[in-house]
Amino acid sequence: MGKKRRAKEWKWTLIALIPTVIIILPLYFTAIGGFQTGVEIFHRPPYWFPPHHSLEFYIDAWVTLLPYLKNSLILALGNLALTLGVALPSAFALAKFRLKLGKSTFFILAFTQMLPATAVIIPLFLIFNNLKLINNYLSVILGIAVFSIPFATIILRAYIQCIPTGLIEAAFIDGASLFRVFWSIIIPLSSPAIATVGILTFIGAWGDFIVSLTFLKDQTMQPMGIGLYYFIGRYGVVWNKLMAGSMIYAVPPLIVALLAGKSIVTGLTAGAFKE
Amino acid sequence: MKTSSYKLYFFLIPALVYQLIFGIYPLIYNLILSLKDVNLITYMGGTSQWIGLSNYVQTLKDTVFQRTFFNTLVFTGLSLSFQFIIGFLLALLFNHSFPLKGLLQSLIMVPWILPIIVSGFFFRWFFSDQGMVNGFLLSWGLIDKPIPWITSQILPLFSLIVANIWLGIPFSFVLLYTGLRAIPLELFESADIDGTNWWQKILFITVPLLKPVIITTLTLGCIFTVKVFDLVWIITKGGPGEVSHLLSTLSYSLAFNKFHFGKASSVLVIMLCLVIGLTVLLNSIRAEEESSIG
Repeated sequence: MGKKRRAKEWKWTLIALIPTVIIILPLYFTAIGGFQTGVEIFHRPPYWFPPHHSLEFYIDAWVTLLPYLKNSLILALGNLALTLGVALPSAFALAKFRLKLGKSTFFILAFTQMLPATAVIIPLFLIFNNLKLINNYLSVILGIAVFSIPFATIILRAYIQCIPTGLIEAAFIDGASLFRVFWSIIIPLSSPAIATVGILTFIGAWGDFIVSLTFLKDQTMQPMGIGLYYFIGRYGVVWNKLMAGSMIYAVPPLIVALLAGKSIVTGLTAGAFKE
Repeated sequence: MKTSSYKLYFFLIPALVYQLIFGIYPLIYNLILSLKDVNLITYMGGTSQWIGLSNYVQTLKDTVFQRTFFNTLVFTGLSLSFQFIIGFLLALLFNHSFPLKGLLQSLIMVPWILPIIVSGFFFRWFFSDQGMVNGFLLSWGLIDKPIPWITSQILPLFSLIVANIWLGIPFSFVLLYTGLRAIPLELFESADIDGTNWWQKILFITVPLLKPVIITTLTLGCIFTVKVFDLVWIITKGGPGEVSHLLSTLSYSLAFNKFHFGKASSVLVIMLCLVIGLTVLLNSIRAEEESSIG
């Protein structure tokens, strides 16, 4: 490759850098907002670089948010277990067998995935309220799963379809039970897809807003995202700590997305293209 | 594979039953609520009465609802157009190969990965009266007094649209970029030989070949945008007053601020009809595309 060609390619990098920088500016300003005092954050013009690098507000925000961390983990992991537990067997049945209810199941999944969250969560609040399930982790896990189960099932189904049917038939001929085939062939072979779906399900539940906001009125049970409202007091917003807290709350999804990289994008778009 | 074993239904049934109980039943419950006068008192006392279509009539006559419906159309139309154009231009740009492409590409995904709660709080600060936009504009001398981006009558809707465009860029970008990668480069090279310019290439080669992907991006984007809730609830809560509501936030506010569950349900049913209509449209367009290709 000649030097001229190289230089020409760097020109594209420079051009692409402009929109990229603009797109990540909100994240950058949130991050530096957490370094500024309550006065500095209203400085005119706004600072491009924080005047000091003290972690004071980040530590304050961390201390405030720590009690909510446990709730976030319970909800996200509980939802993950429920979602995989329901989605995996159904994805297997949908992918490899022609069942009478197969088509209608797929239709119901695709349909419920498209539903507006409000249309499910508002009536579900009244239903759960009658069942005394409000202010209960279970209600939130059940509510988030209405949207994570279809997503997980549809993606896992597409992946399991690619596992050679011959493998399964051979196992049946050897006398393996249906459950054995599922446990010893399907699950190990679809582990990459399970990992991607697991990550996306976790990020989704971690970032949930409407379900936790509606079903958890007890502050001691709320997850971190709702906990951020602590910084929006009755007499005004503590912007610097809100920004620091927001950054702390955004770290797990950002790290996971960074580590998982490309597979995550493939997973996110899979639902859009496959059916 | 064909197996008639009833045991297979143990595998299939969980997802089906789950979605029927927790996804479909609430919709039916919702439909019933929309035909009854359910408010806090009648709900607690269990004394709500059937009132036919009265909730719908009241909702359709309500000027707040009319404004909200209009808001939702403007919000969806503008968000979608800009997201699409920006995503398309980015996809064209990233269709070249250049150093650090992978890194820049993953940075563009940030709005998608960031929890909406975080983006919401950022934009609430960004657009607030003492916030960043006004901070820059005032210190550059472009304005004399702060512009009420999210505290006036007309502007809040447009500030929300700006935030939502930012949020939706990665979605259009990824779909269109994936589609672009599938177009063989030779097509462009032979066009180069024929001496076509950039615009001609986009209009006569890229767009027609990308048509199925463009349709998917626009229709899915439309469904996702019509039902936006989180962003609006975090930034303005539909306020000030009721000026920046979308259908989703209006129904939520009717349910949990005013405890008018019946009326909230009627708004939800109207929004559902909109989303279901769009989904049906999406599937029929896609089916048509597929049959014309196959």
